[in-house]
Amino acid sequence: MNTVLLIAREEWRLWARSRVVLVAALIVAVLLAVTSAITAARVGDEAAKRTARQASAEATFFAQPDRHPHRMVHYGHYAFRSPPPLAAFDPGVDAVTGQSIFLEGHRQNTAMFADTRSGADLGGFAALNPANLYQLLLPLLLIIIGHGMVLRERESGTLAVMLAQGQSGLAIAGGKALALAGVAALFLLPVAGLAGFSVAAGEAPLAAAILVAGYALYLGVWVALVLAVSLLVRQRSVALGLLVFAWLLIALIVPRLAINAGSAAVDAPGKIESDLVMLAQQRALGDGHNAADPAFDALQKQVLEQYEAASIEELPINWRGVVAGYSEAKLTDLMNGYAEARMQKEAQQSRIVTLFGLVSPTLAVGASSRTLAGTDLATHHRFLRESEALRFDFVQGLNDLHAKALTYADDAARSADPEAEARTRVNADAWRLLETFRFVPDPATQRVARAGLPLALMLIWLAALGGVIAVGARRLRP
Amino acid sequence: MTPSLEARSLSLVRDGNVVLNQVSFTAAPGEVYALLGGNGAGKSTTLLTFLGFLQPSGGKVLVGGREVAADIEAARAQIAYLPEAASLYGHLDAYENLSYFLDLAGRKVTRAAIDAALDQVALPHAARTRRMQAFSKGMRQKTAIALALLRDTPILLLDEPTSGLDPVAIDEFHDMVKALAAAGRTVLMVTHDVYGACQVADRVGLLRGGRLVGSFEAAEGQRIDTETVHAAFAEREAA
Repeated sequence: MNTVLLIAREEWRLWARSRVVLVAALIVAVLLAVTSAITAARVGDEAAKRTARQASAEATFFAQPDRHPHRMVHYGHYAFRSPPPLAAFDPGVDAVTGQSIFLEGHRQNTAMFADTRSGADLGGFAALNPANLYQLLLPLLLIIIGHGMVLRERESGTLAVMLAQGQSGLAIAGGKALALAGVAALFLLPVAGLAGFSVAAGEAPLAAAILVAGYALYLGVWVALVLAVSLLVRQRSVALGLLVFAWLLIALIVPRLAINAGSAAVDAPGKIESDLVMLAQQRALGDGHNAADPAFDALQKQVLEQYEAASIEELPINWRGVVAGYSEAKLTDLMNGYAEARMQKEAQQSRIVTLFGLVSPTLAVGASSRTLAGTDLATHHRFLRESEALRFDFVQGLNDLHAKALTYADDAARSADPEAEARTRVNADAWRLLETFRFVPDPATQRVARAGLPLALMLIWLAALGGVIAVGARRLRP
Repeated sequence: MTPSLEARSLSLVRDGNVVLNQVSFTAAPGEVYALLGGNGAGKSTTLLTFLGFLQPSGGKVLVGGREVAADIEAARAQIAYLPEAASLYGHLDAYENLSYFLDLAGRKVTRAAIDAALDQVALPHAARTRRMQAFSKGMRQKTAIALALLRDTPILLLDEPTSGLDPVAIDEFHDMVKALAAAGRTVLMVTHDVYGACQVADRVGLLRGGRLVGSFEAAEGQRIDTETVHAAFAEREAA
């Protein structure tokens, strides 16, 4: 048998006979299995509910009676972001960004959270998911199991015996690395299983496979770090202390610092703050409900010229509808400008946090995981853009009806004249102009491309630690 | 004839302290060389340089006529090493330990061969399938000696090999070392047991403060005189 495999097999035999290792591994395995099952059930339930609510919202919109088109503009509609299949492993930003938006005329509403049917989730335990466990808990397990891999041999004197059998330090380090990597591989089975289920649920195999590979890379980094410390440090207690400190830094402190650094480097105003700033510019655009607003004088002149009409009453189209459409377009341009600026700043902050992956592989794997799962910030931004496009299209469709299906005279008189009011009611079949909305993640190739940077950062970590291990192994002495 | 082991003006400085100072000796095939000395004399350090675990600060160590530093793995392949604290795995039994370390050395041995070696060191049959964490020091030492025997190498480096053995086992061990030498093996043994060294060694080197301060050789067909060596040892230590 190959000596590297022989050394690894012996390490596995030791761990299999060690109660501490078995108990630690069992605790993590149970936690992983339970969390995976609960998260998968929860996300599956959420996906079904949001899909059902989306269909229900559309059905309700279509079922509205004959009425004035502008009433439908304000009746509004909902867009739901259904969680993709891999959200069962990594729900990502789902818990903090909101999952649905109320779409209506003249407004870009903030994404909101679905109603909570039970107070049981509100303690925060629902935030525990398989991705968290892989990112935070698995490294700790590898530290507990592996910190003494080489040091135990050194302290007990068996390292001298191993070397005296003609084994090189590189072979010993290789065997130890293989042993701990074997444990990591064993614990990759749950994520591989969830990835398999997600593929069965419609996820692209490429995205699922790269997500699993990303976690393999991440655990590989920890295996290398644990081995490097076990090779270079002379005492087990020091090695354990160093590795736990490294875990605190990498998994908890640096991610926190990265978030603060991202916020400090790029000042991204919140939606409410930018809405307040936008108000003054919004007023200058005019009130779309008031066709006589001086802000639309130039438009009126242009439309009258276009239709060679002397007054708005002579126009072949409803001036009020024209104003509503024009006003909505201008307002949407303004709102989109602010929204895009805000999203770009948020994306810059997110990029800064991802770049901190050079210091913390936990940040790198988190970024790649969310991206590949389709639960990252970029995907949420796309949801905001797509839901806004849906909003704009149906509002403008209704405004177009307002301009073309109604006469100006009826529209102007409908408050005082019930017959005119009846004539301004549009047949409910027109509400079919609303397009159905089903939010799906980006194609797998796009997600993989976006995950390239954090995956590369983890490769850099692995290469650097590989170099350290090679040097330490060559110098390995009892 | 090329000596199996040679220390040539071997010096070693660690943390500013001179641990070995111009030590020179050789051990030929079929010879038992005992390095004798008190605590901290540099005996084990000398032995570790032959394994390449420590690099000389000056001089050379050669195994089979080749400098150890030139090919450490090749040197180790010729050596069976018995460390002072018999270091084997506590979670394995004697069979598992011997199989594993022999596999590491690239030696395939049968269960019968392992039993024969364990018989040779008189490890009780009932103990052989017990995990070594339950072994006494002497039983661990016997198992480690069995490993050294099973390696079947031309050179044996033994660090305080009789430590933990009872008097009967010590006598049996001495007989075994002599038999190995008679079969052409080279044995370098470090010990502070004057009597044991004189019982088994063809030559004895006396180390003190990292210097080889005396050398004793048995006359043809005789053993080294214990009293002479003891007197020199005591004199040097007192000095």
